[in-house]
Amino acid sequence: MIAAAWLCLLSPLGATLAITLGGTRWSRRGAGYVATLSVAVSFVASAIAFFSMLGNASEDRSHLSTAWTWLSAGNFDVGLTVLVDPLSILMMLIVSGVGALIVGYSIGYMDGDDEERRYFAYMALFVFSMLLLVQAGNLLLLLVGWGLVGLCSYLLIGHHHDRPQAVAAAKKAFIMNALGDATMALAFFLLIQRTGSLSFASAFDWSGGAEGSWAVNLVALGLLGGAVAKSAQLPLQTWLPDAMEGPTPVSALIHAATMVTAGVYLLVRTAPIFEHAGRVQDLAAGLGAATLLLAGLIALVQVDIKRVIAYSTMSQIGYMFLGAGLGAYANSMFHLMTHAFFKALLFLAAGIVIHALAGEQDMRRMGGLRRYLPRTYWAFLVGGLALTGIPPLSGFFSKDSVLASALAAGTYGQILFVAGLAGTFLTGLYTFRMLFIVFGGEPSPYAQEHFHRPDRSEPWLWMGLTVGALTVLAVIGGWLQIAGVWHPLADFLKPAVEPLVEPSGTQDFLASLGAVALGLAGIAVAWAIYSARTLTVPTARSARTLLEHKFYFDELYDAVFYRPSALLARGLRDFVEGPLVLGSLTGIAFGARRLAGEVTALQTGLVRTYALAIAGSVTLLALVFVWVK
Amino acid sequence: MMGPDLTWYLAVSAFLFGIGALGVMLRRSPLIVLLSLEIMLNGANLALITFSRHHGELDGQVFALAVMAVAASEVVVGLGLIVAVHRRRLELDVDKLSTLRG
Repeated sequence: MIAAAWLCLLSPLGATLAITLGGTRWSRRGAGYVATLSVAVSFVASAIAFFSMLGNASEDRSHLSTAWTWLSAGNFDVGLTVLVDPLSILMMLIVSGVGALIVGYSIGYMDGDDEERRYFAYMALFVFSMLLLVQAGNLLLLLVGWGLVGLCSYLLIGHHHDRPQAVAAAKKAFIMNALGDATMALAFFLLIQRTGSLSFASAFDWSGGAEGSWAVNLVALGLLGGAVAKSAQLPLQTWLPDAMEGPTPVSALIHAATMVTAGVYLLVRTAPIFEHAGRVQDLAAGLGAATLLLAGLIALVQVDIKRVIAYSTMSQIGYMFLGAGLGAYANSMFHLMTHAFFKALLFLAAGIVIHALAGEQDMRRMGGLRRYLPRTYWAFLVGGLALTGIPPLSGFFSKDSVLASALAAGTYGQILFVAGLAGTFLTGLYTFRMLFIVFGGEPSPYAQEHFHRPDRSEPWLWMGLTVGALTVLAVIGGWLQIAGVWHPLADFLKPAVEPLVEPSGTQDFLASLGAVALGLAGIAVAWAIYSARTLTVPTARSARTLLEHKFYFDELYDAVFYRPSALLARGLRDFVEGPLVLGSLTGIAFGARRLAGEVTALQTGLVRTYALAIAGSVTLLALVFVWVK
Repeated sequence: MMGPDLTWYLAVSAFLFGIGALGVMLRRSPLIVLLSLEIMLNGANLALITFSRHHGELDGQVFALAVMAVAASEVVVGLGLIVAVHRRRLELDVDKLSTLRG
């Protein structure tokens, strides 16, 4: 089991190194094969680890394995340690499984790109970073994975580095994430000061003894800051839609397998700390609820197909935060898993659409693609229905179990439950708005002109097969756990995290009923507006502008953070750097040059004056010696 | 010890050194300057040898031999320079050869 876990971790890293060091000795497609193979090996290894773990008794399912001591300072030791327990195994399976499908899809999608090798090296590195994050056996190693994930997202979002928007988006993602990294690092400093260690066990023990103290609250707040930044929740959500500048499979990887799910994982992994800082945990749930509503509303007016899906990710991660914040850890992880399936499916299907339309992402130019891409349409429909939570697709089981947990979690939970229900309506609306605009109706002039049909060549085959596999997963993924009937996933996760709320059968039923009804209502409204055209979009100009400007978050941050700091920087340049720093430097140089000018005057070129100077000096020295003696 | 007193040797040595130094400082012809330098060195040599004899040890004499070797090399270089200056049809006057002025 342990060996399989290490293999799972190191295989993508090996691929990264091989592709990077091999350089042009790899053929372009060869690099893709190596990357896909390495991630597939990871998946097989994590499956082996999973099955051998099933053979152990449920108390004996958490194993730490230390390769060597990585850092040692005084009595503070950090080892290169992996933790294999049900939670990390589940994440490993999701990350490597969905990751392998997405990397395989990229072989087709990136075919003909100029820098395929670099792309695949980074993709494998991305998967490695995420695996390091979920397998980390202590908090420091988790932070390493955390930072590497941020780095890889930067590298991949900026893959088209000749496009200024892509570069700007990459920087934005990196800076936003660095903010979260910083708050996490601060929390770790506090932990080291309190416990002298960064192992999970000591941190959890300490938080138990310091329940509700300001230190626990601060640590939890710092962790929450990291989770919020990585998972693009309020108030650090603005980087995620811009990250759509990256190639589509990168978006899929960021949204489904790696990166944004890391925040949810962190909330669940460090749940004991959050449980002892109750208000911070409530805050996490509240932020999730706020984000899911906000993102759902913004998604209604987006015209870029990938951005709609990006906002739906924010919204779904909001559900996971809601669940994890209320203590429904298993349900939250369950939603994470099904979300990985259908979100990867939606992105990859959208990638086929974009590819078939020569790179067009604007939905207003699409339309009627159902006729051109029937199989993609079905895949997209399955993804959309799963996202909306229509039974018997995967999203239904997981989202409704999160909502049922909210219903069971007291008054606060019930308020958030209402927000979550409203979110399901929005989900149905924006998902099917996208579906009807892109696939419904008559083919648009643009589509007629630019469409090129997928053929049976190898690139299209890769794309078609991976999307097919994800379609199957999006359909059956939810059957792993059916509320009230059977719950192997929750049982499996129980040794790692004990849920705080258990919804009753009635609550499950109520939540499902409400969510499905509202989801269907959302679909119906979308149908009425965008397909049947019996309804028109209400022309509330101010509301529309508000949504199109994404609630003015970018403008707000621009005004609050960017402008003052730019002003400060300019002031420092004009009043400190210019006169003081540069001035002192030119002063020193000028002074030295003038001094040199004075000294050169001593050099007359007359040999006899030199001789006289020497003789005089020697005489003087002799006199001094004699006199001193 | 035979011969005149130690003081006389030293007086001759100082006299030679003084003549040389004055020559270096006052004369303008590089050739004479070089000669004067040799006189200074020999004045110093005389002092070395005097003390060596006085103490009955050989190291002063060895020093004097080394100084002679250095002086010979110096004369070679110096004369070479003077010939070079002459070949370029420059005036042989150390005051006029002042291109290295700062």
